[in-house]
Amino acid sequence: MTKHPVSLKVNGDEHDLLIEPRKTLLAVLRDTIGLTGTKEGCSTGDCGACTVIVDGKAVTSCMVLGVTASGKEITTIEGLASDGELHPIQQAFIDTGGYQCGFCTPGFIMASKALVDENPDRTEEEFRFALGGNICRCTGYTKILEAVLQAAEEIRTSS
Amino acid sequence: MSDYSVVGKKLPRVDAVEKVTGAAQYGADVHPAGMLYGKIVRSKHAHANILSIDTSEAEKLPGVRAIITQDDVPSGRRVFATDKVLYLGEPLAAVAATDADVAEEAAELIKIEYEVLPVVQDVMESIKSSAPRLHGDETKDGPNRRSISAKIKELSSDQEDDNSDEIRKLEAELEKYSDEVYYNISAETHNEAGDVEKGFAESDIVVEDTYVIPRVHQTYMEPHVSVASADSSGKVTVWASTQGPFAIRSGIAGTLGIPLTQINVIGTTMGGGFGGRFGVIITHVPAVLLSQKAGRPVRVQMTREEEFLDGRPAPGCVIKIKTGATKDGHILARQALAFWDSGSVSGASIGSTIRVRGVYKIPNIKIDAYGVHTNKSGTAAYRAPGAPQAIFAGESQLDDIAEQIGMDPVKFRLMNMREEGDSVPAGGSEPKVGYKETLEAVADAAGWWDREADDNQGWGVAVGDWTNGCGPGGVYVSVHEDGSARIFHGSMDITGTDTAITQIIAEILTVPYENVTIRRGDTDSAPYSTGSGGSVVTFTMGNTAKLAAEDARRRILELAAERLNTNEDNLELKDGAVHIVTADPPKSISLGELAAYSLSTTGGPIVGKGSFARQPSTPALAAQIAKVEVDPDTGRTRVLKLVASQDVGFAINPMAVEGQIEGGTVQGYAWAMMEEMQYGENGNINPGFVDYRVPTSADLPTVESVIVEVPAPNGPYGAKGVGEPPITPTLATMANAVKDAVGIRVTELPIKPEKVVEALKNNGHGA
Repeated sequence: MTKHPVSLKVNGDEHDLLIEPRKTLLAVLRDTIGLTGTKEGCSTGDCGACTVIVDGKAVTSCMVLGVTASGKEITTIEGLASDGELHPIQQAFIDTGGYQCGFCTPGFIMASKALVDENPDRTEEEFRFALGGNICRCTGYTKILEAVLQAAEEIRTSS
Repeated sequence: MSDYSVVGKKLPRVDAVEKVTGAAQYGADVHPAGMLYGKIVRSKHAHANILSIDTSEAEKLPGVRAIITQDDVPSGRRVFATDKVLYLGEPLAAVAATDADVAEEAAELIKIEYEVLPVVQDVMESIKSSAPRLHGDETKDGPNRRSISAKIKELSSDQEDDNSDEIRKLEAELEKYSDEVYYNISAETHNEAGDVEKGFAESDIVVEDTYVIPRVHQTYMEPHVSVASADSSGKVTVWASTQGPFAIRSGIAGTLGIPLTQINVIGTTMGGGFGGRFGVIITHVPAVLLSQKAGRPVRVQMTREEEFLDGRPAPGCVIKIKTGATKDGHILARQALAFWDSGSVSGASIGSTIRVRGVYKIPNIKIDAYGVHTNKSGTAAYRAPGAPQAIFAGESQLDDIAEQIGMDPVKFRLMNMREEGDSVPAGGSEPKVGYKETLEAVADAAGWWDREADDNQGWGVAVGDWTNGCGPGGVYVSVHEDGSARIFHGSMDITGTDTAITQIIAEILTVPYENVTIRRGDTDSAPYSTGSGGSVVTFTMGNTAKLAAEDARRRILELAAERLNTNEDNLELKDGAVHIVTADPPKSISLGELAAYSLSTTGGPIVGKGSFARQPSTPALAAQIAKVEVDPDTGRTRVLKLVASQDVGFAINPMAVEGQIEGGTVQGYAWAMMEEMQYGENGNINPGFVDYRVPTSADLPTVESVIVEVPAPNGPYGAKGVGEPPITPTLATMANAVKDAVGIRVTELPIKPEKVVEALKNNGHGA
């Protein structure tokens, strides 16, 4: 299959790649670039494990073709901590026990980051609804919500 | 609450940073150089004879490196179907190719010719003589025929008297139960204590119902995956996402005839298991076979659709249950007849039917349970396997009895609960368990005693019991020259168990928690460890860890006595140093100094070893209360409050324990309200998250967890296994709450809105 030239900016690094048009952004991130922190849970856009941030918006990367992401700025879970400092959302997931097996965690953290960046003033009810695109099978969501609310609070007060 | 400094504390987990940064390596993250992508070819029919398998077109596709079928399995154990497929999605062959998409293309090019056979997917249909047979014509007798046949056998063997008249009578009676000859039976189990007929006769109230519980999928977020690499010397390395690497090692050895020492299984971080991640043939064996054939590493990774078609979910079942009680609230007898949907192979958790007895003093019990073949994949464990189903039936019916008697459901349960020293129906006597404490705790926390409900609102309560398992394990702990400690073991972390082990060792060695690190070895390097399932890990590995730390402490004190020139009796290990208790001024030596000193001694470094297999476990209770509101027009049930208490023995890490309670409760909620694997004429019809709905954060409020601690005599610090109990009562909790809200007893899960609307209509609502 013919490969197409694609330029992706992932976590600040430029990647000039040749990829088949049938490859999803998820496959490009994991298999071509080698960033395996983003997870594949369903490949149908239903579980949110593959959530990354593309130009500021949370997207399920299994639903995006790699070629269509060319020229876009992408942040994955690996790009969240800076200078050895965890992002407040990552720290909040640790503090509250907001993860168990951890497989959905990168997706949850990225989805939460996009939501908190957009509006940290959401109520618990609003966060619960807004995170409805991500599935966690271990926690029952109670501690995930605690984490997101803690991070939102911190981001609200520090900005 | 306790004098401990590390155990009993809400400490961050040892794997915290790797889990929140994406660094944790799961099965599909393993990518050895030259790796190929495997794909399993699956049956397109739920029941069919296979006429031919033609791989020639697939072989010609560029990039295809290996194709395997059952012919490649040396032991003959069924990995791929050969002459007949028994369910939609059953594996027939597998391919390995240089790219995942090429592998998929190749799989589609393999031509299978089928002769389609009639399908049976309902257990109550499958037991009938008219049903198609999956495995020959074997039949079993139902409970009445069994007991009559037993009497006939007894009378026939009587040499002294002529019983022929009585035998004839019994034979005639046997005929009456001709519909009790069951077909397609995979297994059966029977338990009896006391005399149920007598118990029912003495009862004022006898209630009889049939409960139907659907097959549900564990739905761990990481699909099954395996990466195998067979080298030219015959050594096989398998990166496996599994709950039990040692079981996978022996499973591969047995299936493929490879010596144990030639197989190294490296357990990768597990993306959820819940009991469903022990299977060896689902991905591991195909990956090894493909790698052996292709001479390159191969990854076999299931899609979510494949998980639903060919995972090993929890069995559904039909339970007929009958309970008798006196009008003052004493339960006298309970009888159950259960048919468990074991799918194409045996293995459903039919033994758990006994859990309908609950934690109550029921003098007369009779249980008959059968596993029934259907055209579905086989089943596996799912969090307290079999208990949620049986307890749903038992606890739902209990509420109906309480209502008929006019007793409060919590008081009714408290009154009938077993107490320490009571005899247990299955034998032995009851240990000290916080049954009543746990139920009282949830009632108090939920505000049960002064509960209020508006129209269409209701409250439900249920309890469920489970006892953690136990198994062999080994742990090493070393103390280093900087005073840190390192743990080495072979058990898979099941969401927090590595943390519990670390806390226990830090506690005993008095090393700061952050200075104790834990490493899991592969099966080549680590001591044997039992699989991480059955809530065994904290109990087993916690005890093992304690032994290892105590062994290290012995060496530490020995070294300190030598170094400080004193007797061990004068020494105390505290705050990372050994102190002479009697010294004035105080005299001490740090663990780091002792570890450095140990290197120049004849006795050698500080290494503690713990090895443990089993001690009797103590049952645990989970008690839950839900408040719901049912919309009578749409049938939708909204949870207003969900409170879960659990007797955990001792919470080594309360944050992790709460997480288990919350997560298990929500899985139970989902089984009650939304989850169901559905089957059409040709197999599963909802193999994805759009049609198989699991709950999201939008479906539920916060789950409130209440920890109750009645120590288990043999648990580390009194701890019990905590993972499984919380799912056991929730199915009934929800059904009882819906009943209280709108007066509908749902006997067939899940409690979908359309079912509620239909039932309300039949009850005259909106008429």
